[in-house]
Amino acid sequence: MVNIMNSSEVYDRIVQELRRGVLVLATLSQLGEAKYGYSLINELAEQGLNIDQGTLYPLLRRLESDGLLQSQWNTEGSRPRRYYVISPAGARLLKRLSGEWRGLASVLDKLLSNCEGSET
Amino acid sequence: MNLIDRYIYEVGRYLPRKNRADIQTELRSLLIDSLEARVEGEASEEEVVAFLREFGSPAKVAASYRPESQYLVGPELFPTFRMVVGIALLVLVVVHAVLFGLLLFTNPDFLQALDVLSNFVGNFLSVLGTIVVVFYAFQYFDVRLAKPSQDWDPRDLPVVDMKNTVNRGGTIFDIALELLILVAFLVFPNTIGAVVTPGTPILTDPVLTSYTPLIVAALMAGLVVNIVLLWRGRWETGTRLAKIAVNLFSIVVIAMLISGHAAWLAQHTGSGFFDLLGNLPISKITSSEQTLIIAMFAIQIALIIAMIITVIETIEVAYRFFRQMMGWDTALSSVEDQKTSPL
Repeated sequence: MVNIMNSSEVYDRIVQELRRGVLVLATLSQLGEAKYGYSLINELAEQGLNIDQGTLYPLLRRLESDGLLQSQWNTEGSRPRRYYVISPAGARLLKRLSGEWRGLASVLDKLLSNCEGSET
Repeated sequence: MNLIDRYIYEVGRYLPRKNRADIQTELRSLLIDSLEARVEGEASEEEVVAFLREFGSPAKVAASYRPESQYLVGPELFPTFRMVVGIALLVLVVVHAVLFGLLLFTNPDFLQALDVLSNFVGNFLSVLGTIVVVFYAFQYFDVRLAKPSQDWDPRDLPVVDMKNTVNRGGTIFDIALELLILVAFLVFPNTIGAVVTPGTPILTDPVLTSYTPLIVAALMAGLVVNIVLLWRGRWETGTRLAKIAVNLFSIVVIAMLISGHAAWLAQHTGSGFFDLLGNLPISKITSSEQTLIIAMFAIQIALIIAMIITVIETIEVAYRFFRQMMGWDTALSSVEDQKTSPL
């Protein structure tokens, strides 16, 4: 017996775990050219992926400290902005990761359609 | 914008010094970007408040900038930590119980004895604090207490052997009990079984006193066997034989004590101790000798219970030993045969 509040907490936690891995992939994929945090959020949102600002900004820094991104302050605009771009190591990782993702996605597609088929 | 400044400053308070200024500058520029996109022209205070609320509390935002795993005692160390705390708690309980008992025997001031119990909380907290500090140091410097998990070999795992597994909780309880009685006997041999009635001289249980060396020997032997059992974690031929020998010795000692008490009680109550029950309730009892009779009667009952438990335990260990010798036990035993010793 799981009460409703518990099950929605569990749901939130699992969704968060699912997204956490995917966000890295999404972020790396969009940083072929240098962008600052807010522009990246907008770009992802335009394409249908909404990311919490509080999640993305720390993630950028973490990816940078892992050597997957490079960053630079740009002071030309109205205020200083930190621009991030994918590093060579990040690009190599992105290639491997996208292969991994495509494999997972197709397997899960199959699994989920199987289980939906058996339910009806 | 004043609210944004305060917000950024507050986030900075939770950030490590190293990247603080850099993160603050970036966060400020991002917040303003985001706010400008939401609000046309100058933002009102309400709008900034709503915006910052949505962004998250300073502590939460700062936390997401820190490494993900920040532990006082992390999951790898925690099982060891819990075990150490458990052992420390057990030792403290035993030490304080012994001190409390001794003070009750030697000091008529009951409040002073109670002091020992109230000190227990303080002592436990300081021991706990010390353990936490030590484990935090392990955590901080990434000390590994166990071997790196890559090196392990499944063939090194112990055989699953429920029949021969020692009941750890029961053994620890036995050890604590034996220590308690042993300390009482060793430190105050003359006050064991003492009965204090206000206004009368202290009387001691003459039977227990006269058998002290034998009792101490039985307790010490039992203690050694139990410590070895706890250390080995499983029953072996040697420990089974030692346990049987120690228990037989204990049975002899307890039998001597029971017959000693029976003789003493018969002598002092005339027609046996059930007559004594006629003298109850306690309010009728005036002389300290009558109190002693009741105390000796209680000790006698405790001895009989101890005898029964020891005999059952001995039979069980002997039975297991017999099965082991006959080769009846396979390594993987069935679940209903997992019963361990009664104590």
